[in-house]
Amino acid sequence: MPPSRWFGLFLITRATGALVVPPLLLVDHLDGNEFVLAGVALGYSAASAGVLARWPALQQSRSLWVADCAVLLSLVLAYGEWRSPFYLLALSSLVLPATGLSLRGAVAFGGGFVAAYLGVALLVGVDWASISTTARMQSFGALLLVPLVVTVALAFASDLLRRLERERQVAERLALEAERQRIAWELHDSAKQRIHAAHLLLSAVADAGPASRSLELAVEELRAAIEDMDTSLRDLREPLFDGGSLGAALRQWAERLQAGSDVRIEVVGDAPTLPAFTAAQAYRIGREALTNAVRHASASHAEVVLDVSGERLSLLVSDDGEGLPAEVRAGANGLASMQHRAEALGAELDVVTRPGGRGTIVALDAPLVEAAHV
Amino acid sequence: MTRVLVVDDHEAMRRGLETVLAATPDLIPVGTGSSEGDLWHLLKRVAPDVVVLDYHLPGQDGLMLCHRIKSLTLPPAVLIYSAYADESLEIAATVAGADGVLNKSAPANDLFAAIRSVAASEPTLRRPTPSALTAAAEKLDAEERPLLGMLIQRTPVPEVADALGLPLDEAADRIRAVIGRLRVRVPAGS
Repeated sequence: MPPSRWFGLFLITRATGALVVPPLLLVDHLDGNEFVLAGVALGYSAASAGVLARWPALQQSRSLWVADCAVLLSLVLAYGEWRSPFYLLALSSLVLPATGLSLRGAVAFGGGFVAAYLGVALLVGVDWASISTTARMQSFGALLLVPLVVTVALAFASDLLRRLERERQVAERLALEAERQRIAWELHDSAKQRIHAAHLLLSAVADAGPASRSLELAVEELRAAIEDMDTSLRDLREPLFDGGSLGAALRQWAERLQAGSDVRIEVVGDAPTLPAFTAAQAYRIGREALTNAVRHASASHAEVVLDVSGERLSLLVSDDGEGLPAEVRAGANGLASMQHRAEALGAELDVVTRPGGRGTIVALDAPLVEAAHV
Repeated sequence: MTRVLVVDDHEAMRRGLETVLAATPDLIPVGTGSSEGDLWHLLKRVAPDVVVLDYHLPGQDGLMLCHRIKSLTLPPAVLIYSAYADESLEIAATVAGADGVLNKSAPANDLFAAIRSVAASEPTLRRPTPSALTAAAEKLDAEERPLLGMLIQRTPVPEVADALGLPLDEAADRIRAVIGRLRVRVPAGS
């Protein structure tokens, strides 16, 4: 489950926690002081939800989690009794830490919450004489243990979902890899052998005597087809991008290109978690763009800028080389293959010569929707 | 007249080779096979001068087969025919005793020339470059490297066994181990 779904759960529990406050206070005979507390609880709940929705990065801020717990527990403290209408609201502060931390971290957080609540209960005073009755003891015990149970349950679910997600990604990558190997094998074992045979047969005729121009051309075309196929096969056999950080992978490629040449390549930004297919295609596009900049455009400086925002990946490769050639080199299909990769992602790809003719800009703008590859 | 046996698991290649060979006056296609079984069967029946051998037959390595063909008394010449012919394959093929290596993308005239050369026992394999030889040696253990050195010089296997002070079959075992290590990995077919 992506963080935004857990945020949904947070919103539901916070709203529920806040909305039960006024009725509970009414039952408890609302007086002036409690009226203020109810207002604070509702206002704080709305504000916290609003702030976290506006700036999603804050949803994972640890100090904010602690502060949130502190604010809500201090409402319990201000109410002055451990059986407080604000207790449920305070529990809602456990959702984000329980789902955002590792299992162990979540248990620690839950334990901390219990300790803090116990502290609050001791501060407002626990009537130990009355607690000795079974019902009161049970409810105090439950209030102490519920946060721990909630945290462990949520952390367990979140951990499980994270594992499933990882496994799904691995399975997706293995399936892709297997499919590529199958295609490579078929190309090699069937189509390529037939082309070899056709080339051999036609070249025998062409070599035997004065050949017609069209026969010579046919032999040339077959030879080129074999080269094309070798390129595709090399491509297919190269292991897929392993789904790690796109920035790190492109940096690695940049280092390989820089070794033994004077070119300087900078990779700015990163795109850490992308769907495997998107990452693999974006990697190959970025790689091709860099390779072109160094090998064909004789660039001395190239820059890659990566950015993920609003469910879109942006990859920008610019260089200071010669720009796009007026005529496409014979046998070059790098640009076409980049375009095909972009199409497979449902993405926009622009490859243009910079204004003024110095350098090339390759801009990819890809949606991060899983179903992009059909 | 040169008698040629073709062993390739791809039907298109077999047909193509047979057709172009049949149209060439001095070359006679005496048989085609698609497997190791076919190879041994045909070798006895048709006594070819040259075997055009696919590098990668299903479940079989062309170089190992080549080594075994070359272990026969009065073996035919062997031309390794591969979709991936580079220098590392040439070294491995030399060690396996092959007389030549040809890329499948070569035009028919090159094929005919290669068959005629190996039939006439003319050297067709290039001398390996130092860098390719180093790369090959790095795949081997220290005690296997002298073997590589001798086989690259096309030293006959009995002489190699003599030099190492080993019985002939043990020397052959070691040579097979070296071939196994030098084998060029091709994912499928060839």
